[in-house]
Amino acid sequence: MIGIVKTALLLLAATLALTAVAQTSREAESWWSPGDSRVLPAVVEYDNAFGKLRVLNAAGAIRAGEHAFFAPLGENGRACVTCHQPSDAMGLSVETINRRWRETAGTDPLFAAIDGSDCPNLPQQEAASHSLLLERGLFRIPLPWPPRSSEGSVIDPEFTIEVVSDPAGCNTDPVYGLHSENPTISVYRRPRPVANLKYITELSHGVSPHEYFYPNDKSLLPKDPDTGAFVAHRLMSDGREPTLKTQAVSAAIGHLESKRPTDEQLAEIVAFESQIYAAQSFHNVAGPLTVAGTPPVLGPEALRDGAPARLGNNPINRIFGSFAMWAGSTPVEQASTAAGPPLEVQQSVARGADIFYLRRFMIRDVGDYNDKGLGNPFNRSCGSGCHNMQLIGMDLAPGYMDLGLNSLPWANNRPDLPLFKVECHADAKPQSYLGRIIYTHDPGRALITGKCIDVGATLTQQMRGLAARAPYFANGSAANLRELVDFYDRRFNIGYTEIEKQDLVNFLSTL
Amino acid sequence: MTATDATIQRSVLVAALCVAGVVVSASAAPPVGEPVNFVACPIARDTGPDTDVCFFAEYEGERYALRNPTDWGNPQLLHRVLVEARVADGAPVCGATPLDARISILPEVDAACDTIIPFDGAVRGTPGGIFNRGTAEQRAAARELARRAAAEPALSLVPVMPESSYPSPVPPFTTETLTVYYPFGSDRATDADMLELLRLTEIANAIPARVEVTGYRGASRLSNGNTLSERSEMARQRAQKIVAILHGLGVDPNQIEVDWVSTAGGNSGQDDWRSRRIELRVIPLPVND
Ligand code: HEC
Repeated sequence: MIGIVKTALLLLAATLALTAVAQTSREAESWWSPGDSRVLPAVVEYDNAFGKLRVLNAAGAIRAGEHAFFAPLGENGRACVTCHQPSDAMGLSVETINRRWRETAGTDPLFAAIDGSDCPNLPQQEAASHSLLLERGLFRIPLPWPPRSSEGSVIDPEFTIEVVSDPAGCNTDPVYGLHSENPTISVYRRPRPVANLKYITELSHGVSPHEYFYPNDKSLLPKDPDTGAFVAHRLMSDGREPTLKTQAVSAAIGHLESKRPTDEQLAEIVAFESQIYAAQSFHNVAGPLTVAGTPPVLGPEALRDGAPARLGNNPINRIFGSFAMWAGSTPVEQASTAAGPPLEVQQSVARGADIFYLRRFMIRDVGDYNDKGLGNPFNRSCGSGCHNMQLIGMDLAPGYMDLGLNSLPWANNRPDLPLFKVECHADAKPQSYLGRIIYTHDPGRALITGKCIDVGATLTQQMRGLAARAPYFANGSAANLRELVDFYDRRFNIGYTEIEKQDLVNFLSTL
Repeated sequence: MTATDATIQRSVLVAALCVAGVVVSASAAPPVGEPVNFVACPIARDTGPDTDVCFFAEYEGERYALRNPTDWGNPQLLHRVLVEARVADGAPVCGATPLDARISILPEVDAACDTIIPFDGAVRGTPGGIFNRGTAEQRAAARELARRAAAEPALSLVPVMPESSYPSPVPPFTTETLTVYYPFGSDRATDADMLELLRLTEIANAIPARVEVTGYRGASRLSNGNTLSERSEMARQRAQKIVAILHGLGVDPNQIEVDWVSTAGGNSGQDDWRSRRIELRVIPLPVND
């Protein structure tokens, strides 16, 4: 261990002297303020704790200023880029959020009362009123209760919901809460990265029964309200938006407090989102990730060139392809390349990939997953179990599931989040493993469908650019990659050794 | 309850079960072809590294393997299963008497169904993977691809899995039927059923045709004389789900006639799963010009 840390420091020092191929932004320039009339280059790199993230603007450099993704479209001075920063793999790390708080004394539009505070009714100048954002990187997501269908009609839910604990006070607030004039449930979620989206929007290839169906209950996927074409349904943690366009409309109205953007603005946003790629390109210890002899999946170029929405759980197409070139180096080779990047870390990454691909454990009691037909338990690995889309490691399915992050008894101890009691009606099908009475911090998909079986289920996320956007999981439960690995180890009783955990962390930090 | 508590509790259960196993193994299974219908906890068995678990259940001192037709849904711990079966011929499966079975998962959570037998070498699974499937040539081709990918790592990102497909219907079209059977209390069809539905939908969209859909629900008579009946809405729910899929795939609502039979069928103790179904017919219409 000490050896690795020492080498890491040595290498960190060494890399400072290296000239990167792409333009590297210094920290001060990394923050994109709405309306900044700067150019986002075709390729740009940003430092993070593990090395560098590369953002590939595949259609070429653009002038941000008036561009609809970068311009403050509404009243609160925010733009889309406020919460989807290039330096943070088009997401937003809690580190960046805190830096912004310090640099602007909390006045950045990022902290707007509407959803950048625990509740708009709180005194906005106090850091404590933004605690969920500052501590866990969470924005408030207000959702109507009961749910509305995409056509706007009221859905009759299969359960009642009650607020058990409300530390931020928003769910019990007379203006913003569940019993207000517009009954609303506030949950708190992390931004999802707006990059590599062709993988997320393309219909699944090679799935059973067919690309038009949900594999779990064999109903049809939703459709694009504009074109009538089936959509892949992998956007947002609860899948409430069918397309990038509908998403952009809601985001503008909700986060930006803007009116509906014009069709030209929407087209500009969707076009930008559909061509931007982000992935780690340099690892402080393992070295450059996109040069000859490195695993072919690394870096954003592979994402630009890859085939989207393919199943990556066969022996040739393992989710992130081959890492074998980093596995075989013997101690003798290591000695002979003493000047190069430490092979021991590369080997650790390769072992981590193998653990991710192959190491099986009993996946059990996951709602909307083990009950899909797979059986409970299902003895699979991380990759063959859920994170099966080639190159990004999202569930191809689309997979909503209650991994245990949101609901008791598995959820990490989260007294900072609201806690709801869900009680399913007697004639409804209960949540498969938690039953008819469920305590949850975020009912997830069930806030959209009104169905008991969906309580706590959220959509898996893509796994690229992880190094740039901690904390992890939709509710920010894992402060770092180690906590993420620890959650799985505890939840599924896997029994990873210390070295295996380290290998997984190293592997994830290169993606 | 912490994970460790759960593990300890489970191993205590397993220990108890192993003791019981010694006693029950003496009894003989009913003859091949005999109906066995019961409700019980499924028991999962770890069958070794790189394999999926298998399931069995105990009924009247006998262990029965719980294996469904493809994609009918595997058993789930924390739920009892309804087993509607006939004793099958052949070697033991999962260390238990094989059944020709339809297994349904009952919806309520039952915390008592929580046993996983750790791998003990007694029952060993076969590691899966596409290299075990297909013809000898397909397997050789897959191995060749893997060899090339080892030398040329970029190939590991080039997708090899084929697209999902179904045979396109070929004219002239005559009346075609599809019967979809469902697990108890469920409207979830199998992949194979939905591929066939896609093919029939193509016919309904290609020519003037009428589509008739009828939904049914069932009751299941257990070997001990008890009966389990589905909720009365199941027949309608099944029919309407199929109709929604037909609409979604472009079939004109005016072409479709939907009906459901709300009285429960089955309840004979012999293959009662056949009472839970939809029947669909695509009937070409004469073209008058
Ligand atoms: C205040 C912060 C904030 C702003 C501003 C913001 N977003 Fe987001 N964005 C989020 C959060 C939080 C989520 C995840 C919400 C969820 O899962 O329920 C998200 C999710 C998304 C997603 C889904 C990505 C995926 O893979 O699921 C897209 C696309 C997106 N935002 C685009 C936009 C656009 C376009 C704008 C500007 C119109 C915008 N965002 C403005 C916070 C923000």
